[in-house]
Parts: sequence; C-alpha cells; structure tokens
Amino acid sequence: VFPGVRQAQWLTKTKLVEGLPPAVQGIVDNSALGLQELEERVKHVVSHARLWDTAEVAPRREKYCPVLFENLIHICRLMSGKYPSLSKRMLARNCKIAATWERESILLQVRGLSGILMNSVTPIPPVASKEEILATKEHVLETFYPIAPTIDLQEVNVYKELNDTGQCFRDGYPYPHPHTLFFLESANVRTDRFRPEQLRAKMLMFAFGNALAKAKALHGNDPKVLEQPIVVQSIGTDGQLFQFMVFQLNTTDLVSNDGVKNLVWIDSDQNLYERAQCVPEVKKGVVMKPAGISGFQPDTFKKFLALYLHGTV
Amino acid sequence: MAALGAWRLLRPGRRWFSETVPGAPSPPGSPLYPPVVASITAKSKAAKSRRLQRFNQRVHAAATVEEKLRLYGKLQRPKYTVYPQTFALNADRWYRSFTKTVLVPGMPPRGAARKPEVAAAGAAVETGRAAESGAEAPAAAGAPAAAEAPGDAVSPGAAAGAVPSVDIGELRSLTCDALLQESFYQNKKRPFLYRDQDHTPGPFLTQLVSTLAASLSGRNPLLAASSLDLSPEVNYYWHHGEEVVVHGHRKGRVDPVRFQIDDNPHLQIRVPKQLPEVVPLESDLGDVPVIDHKPSKLPLFKKQYENKVFIGSKVADPCCYGHTQFHLLPDKLKRERFIRDRLEDQIEVVYRSNGIASLFAWTAAQAMYQGFWSEADVTRPFVSQAVVTDGKYFAFFCYQLNTLALSAETIKNNPRKNICWGTDSKPLYDVVEDGNVKGFNDEVLLQLVQFLLNRPKEL
Repeated sequence: VFPGVRQAQWLTKTKLVEGLPPAVQGIVDNSALGLQELEERVKHVVSHARLWDTAEVAPRREKYCPVLFENLIHICRLMSGKYPSLSKRMLARNCKIAATWERESILLQVRGLSGILMNSVTPIPPVASKEEILATKEHVLETFYPIAPTIDLQEVNVYKELNDTGQCFRDGYPYPHPHTLFFLESANVRTDRFRPEQLRAKMLMFAFGNALAKAKALHGNDPKVLEQPIVVQSIGTDGQLFQFMVFQLNTTDLVSNDGVKNLVWIDSDQNLYERAQCVPEVKKGVVMKPAGISGFQPDTFKKFLALYLHGTV
Repeated sequence: MAALGAWRLLRPGRRWFSETVPGAPSPPGSPLYPPVVASITAKSKAAKSRRLQRFNQRVHAAATVEEKLRLYGKLQRPKYTVYPQTFALNADRWYRSFTKTVLVPGMPPRGAARKPEVAAAGAAVETGRAAESGAEAPAAAGAPAAAEAPGDAVSPGAAAGAVPSVDIGELRSLTCDALLQESFYQNKKRPFLYRDQDHTPGPFLTQLVSTLAASLSGRNPLLAASSLDLSPEVNYYWHHGEEVVVHGHRKGRVDPVRFQIDDNPHLQIRVPKQLPEVVPLESDLGDVPVIDHKPSKLPLFKKQYENKVFIGSKVADPCCYGHTQFHLLPDKLKRERFIRDRLEDQIEVVYRSNGIASLFAWTAAQAMYQGFWSEADVTRPFVSQAVVTDGKYFAFFCYQLNTLALSAETIKNNPRKNICWGTDSKPLYDVVEDGNVKGFNDEVLLQLVQFLLNRPKEL
C-alpha cells in the first residue's frame, strides 16, 4: 500500500539521507585498497554464481543468490590478509531478533529471523557529527494523516516484552557489537520476494531493532539521547540489485515526535550487472546476446566492500 | 559372324600375347581395394571392437572438453552407485580395488623448503608477519629445515609445525571462538530429529574453514585466488573390469562394469593452479587389494541415470583444480552407533572410504576437465586433499591421481597406481563446557593449517 520506507521512518523516528555517509564514501574512493585488481575476481565470482555453479544449464535464484553472497563475502574476508583486524568478525546465521519500543502510545515490536548477522569485537564509530545529530531536532517527521502509521502491521497481544540481542547470544560473547545485517531475497517466484522498497523498509526495521536492543543492553531501559550513537549497517539483495543502508541510533526516546531523531543513509537499487546469459540467444543464425555477464558495475562491489571494511579501516 | 567374332577375339588376343614380357609389377599409387575391416553392425567380437575404436576416435577428435564429456557419458546403462559415506563393512578395501588405489598410512613427507617453525611469542610474530608476507625467506627457513628434514622425513601427523611466523595461538583462539559461537553462545532451537550434524558441527566447520582460510590467505597467495564452495556437487563416472550381462534382452554379452560417484562435500576450496605432485608419476608404494566377488556383494546397487562428470563448477571456470575438500559425516555414521553395534574397527573404515572415494572422484573429474580420459591417460599427477570429520574427530587425506586408465582394455598394460595417504581420526578437543574448550589438540589444528597452506613451489 505504502512506500514502506516512509512508514518505517515514522515508526523508528528516523531522518533519511540519500546516498552513503561520507565516511563510507571515503573508503570507496580510497585507491590504496587496490579495488581495481579485485574487479577481475568479482567478475569471475559473479559468473561462477550465475553461470557455472550447477551441472544443469542455469542455476535458479534459490541457488545463485546465496552463492553470490557467499562468494562476495569470501572476497571481502580475504582482505584480512592485508588488514589483520578484519579477522575480529564473526558471521552468525539464523539470528533471532526481538526489540520493543513505544511510539506515541503505540507499542511496537520487531521480531523474527533477521537473516545473516555479522558481529565484530569493536563497534562502528558514529558516522554523523554532533552538529548533524542536533540538527535533526528541527526535522519534522512525515505523518500520513488520515492514515494511521500502523497500517499493515500485525497486531499481536504481547505477554512478555522481550528486548535483547542477548536473546540471540549469551553474555560473554566475544563479538558483542552487531556490524552488518545481510538480507537475501532468494525465493524463485517473484511474488514471494520483497520488492526493493519493501526490502529497504525491512532492512531499516531490523537494523533499528538490533541497534535498539544493543542500546538497551548497554545503557539500560530508560529512554534517553545516547552519548555514543550506535551504528548498524544493512545490505539487502536479490542476486542482482543491491540496497545499502547505514543506520545510526541517536536516541531511545521514541515516545514523543520531537527532539533528536535517528539517522539513516540509504543507497538504493545498485545493479551489480545488467544481465547474465547462460545460453547465447540466437535469432535466425545470428547471435543476438552472447553468453556471459554483461553490464558489470564495479562500483556496487566497491560499496559492498567499503561497508564491510567500515570500522576497521 | 562367328569368324568376325573370332577375328575380334584373336586380334586383341594377339596384342595380349605380345605383351607377355612381365614388367616389374608397378606399385599401385593408391590401394586398389579399400582395407578389409570388420563390419560395424554385425553381432561379432570384431565388429564390437571396431565400434569401440570408432567411439574412441570420436572422443579423441572432439573439439572442446564439454563435447568430450558429453560423448564420454552419452550411453546410459545400469551402473553401480558408489556412496563415499557408507556403513558397508570394509568398504575402503572394495573402493580401493574399484579405483586402483594404494593406501599409505600417515601423511606424505613435505619438501624441505616447506619445513616451517612454530613461532613462540605473539608480539614478535605480528611485526614479522607484516614484513614477510611478500617474499618469504626460504633461505632462512631452509637452513634449519634441512637439519630437521632427515629426522622428520616420515613423520605422520603435524609435528613439524607451520610456515614461518604463523601464530598458532591466534588461530587457536579463532577456532575456539567459532566452536563456542556455534555450540554455546548462539541461542538456537533444538536440533531437528536425527539432524544433529546440521545444528552444530556443520556451521562450526563452515565458520572454521572460512575464517582460517581468510587469515592464512596472506601467507598463501593460492588461497587469495581461491573459490570457496558451500555444499557443491562432485560427480564422476568410470568403467572398471568386465562382467557378463545376467538377464534382459542383452543377456550373455560382455559389458564393462560401470560406476558413478555422486558426492556432496560440506565445503570445498578450488584454486586456479594445480597442487604439486607428492611422489613421481610411476611410483609404486604398495598393493591394490584384489576382490574376487561382484561389486553387488558390498552391497552396491545398480541404477541407470545421467552420467555426470562435475568438479563443482563448469569447465569455463578458471579455478579448475582442487585444493581441499571438507566432509561432514551424517548422523547415521556417528561413532556411538558403531560402538553400540560392537563394530569399533569399522569407525576408521568410514573415514577412509569417504576420503578415498570422494578424492578419487574429484581428482579424476579435474583430470577429465583437462582433456584426459581412460584412453588418454594423465601426463601429470593430480593432487588434492580432504578432511573428513564428524565435528570433533578429524581425519586427513591426501590423494594423488596417477592414472585414469581403469577400463578392462587399458588396465592390462598399466603399471601405475593411484595413491592415497590418510591418517586415523583424532579429536580436536575433548569437551565444551560453560564457554570453555577443554583439551584442545594443537596437532590437529597444525595439520589443518598445513593443508591450507599447501601450494605449488613457485608461489
């Protein structure tokens, strides 16, 4: 019904900024990382996931989406030969997340399997400066009068307010800070997959849930403006289109509509390649589209890698 | 008329008689008659061998490797499906006879240049690692290594140690972190019935290999160019031996015995360059067991379906050589079951049969991707490694494929044998309690690190 991100913004009291934050953009533009040589490898990796991975003619999305993701993460992880502190990360699959908060007297809750979570030993430093955070006070959240902001949300009787990523991990876990969430839309049938707008909204809600749970674990349950904002990143893809998101939790005071807001930077609809042709398309003896990957965009992978390296480089 | 006819006969006859001087029989420029060969369609042994030769020529003449593979596996007939992970008793002897493999206990001795020392302190190691990541100093390592080499020449296990300045403490902490995360820290639901292996050991193995490979990629440039597959498919189809068809419309004919392996390793690492050979191509390190029974006595069952040869990705992939495979034993083959059924000696058989069958299929498929097959035998050995584990106990295998010629005609004059080195299964740790790993075994970790650091000599 609704452009999902706008609704999610109201629910999480967030201000939207288009594009990636300057800290991440700086990593993308930093040529010392040797991103040029990686282009060749990324092309191979995309071809492997989309063309070569199966004994049949063409792999299905349920197969190639996770394989592409694993291959990209493998390339990113291999950078830890250059940056040893990258090995202080751990991937966790099938994490359950639960977080509750109040928004103008409506109790909201995020629950569910939040895809693949990467945790790290050290938290990501805040991306927005103090001035930017204070400037969000003036920002007015978009309301949808006369539509209630909780439209299309499931109403549920909650008997126990569960509130921690400690639900997912026990105390003493050596990688306590959530770093990046990965969402793979790998259903074969198009109607089972989230559309890009809905995927972005889902990413925002889960990133917010993780950040909120971490904030409550660190600073307690009282709503307040955070001295050290918590940053959680999020990447979503359906095997070809990538959505990048950096979310900064500035405040847990979510009941009122004014005051400091949270910030989110979204870079949406980045194509990694245009099309992947498994069998050349031939019309009347003339090859119209040769087999292979066409329209490869290295920038998308650079952003993926920059988000992965963010916090250690 | 008769006289005219007689004249006509006489005149040419005279000419014919005048040419009685026998000249040297002029050698015909081309044969007067086509070569006399057996028929193609007759029901005779000569015809059968002629058909076989035509088929071999077709495969030899195939333009691309894909075409060769397609022709090689075109004819579908009932074949034995060989399962690498099997509960059959003494399956490793049978598998060795099917694949003409010699089993050598212990790990192969590595070359002298590879001999490493374990770094003692962590701090010195950090700075040393950064400086040495480019050109490792084989000269520096060679001198102490040469002194060690005679002593360690036949050392099974991993007593020799790791490449210069590998911080075993850091790798141990990474391993323990992965183990603790999967078994202790992450809250998971209860494991599904009889799916215990997917609950903890499976994710642990994935985490362990990916983090170890990433942290060792600085030391091994081959790993930095590698491709990691999760749950890939590995298939191989081959002929070995002969039998007489028992029933059906082809009853009484002599057919080759066909085998097919369809394997699903948990993880595998594929690389663009081949691992170096361990021993020369023609070495003879033991005997291949000869079993007089039919394969169906193992028990092995026949089925007819597509003849696939696949290493994990198609021929076009540049990473076409194999480095290491990781196999996870399913719940059906866990140690407690064997102990309960009083079959303790079969525990090691499970690991060995998995190692031999999976590695034979993988190396042979790699060789076929390079254009070799049973009529065109390999000119260089293909080497790959495997780790078979059930989550706690690890067994290490290294396989060298020296010959693909296993079919009845080609095996007659073939002295080469394939070789498999394998260890017994050893535990990585004793028990995980309260966020602590007790009884960690460094040897197993060192052997794993050595496996991952294996690379061709020029790198």
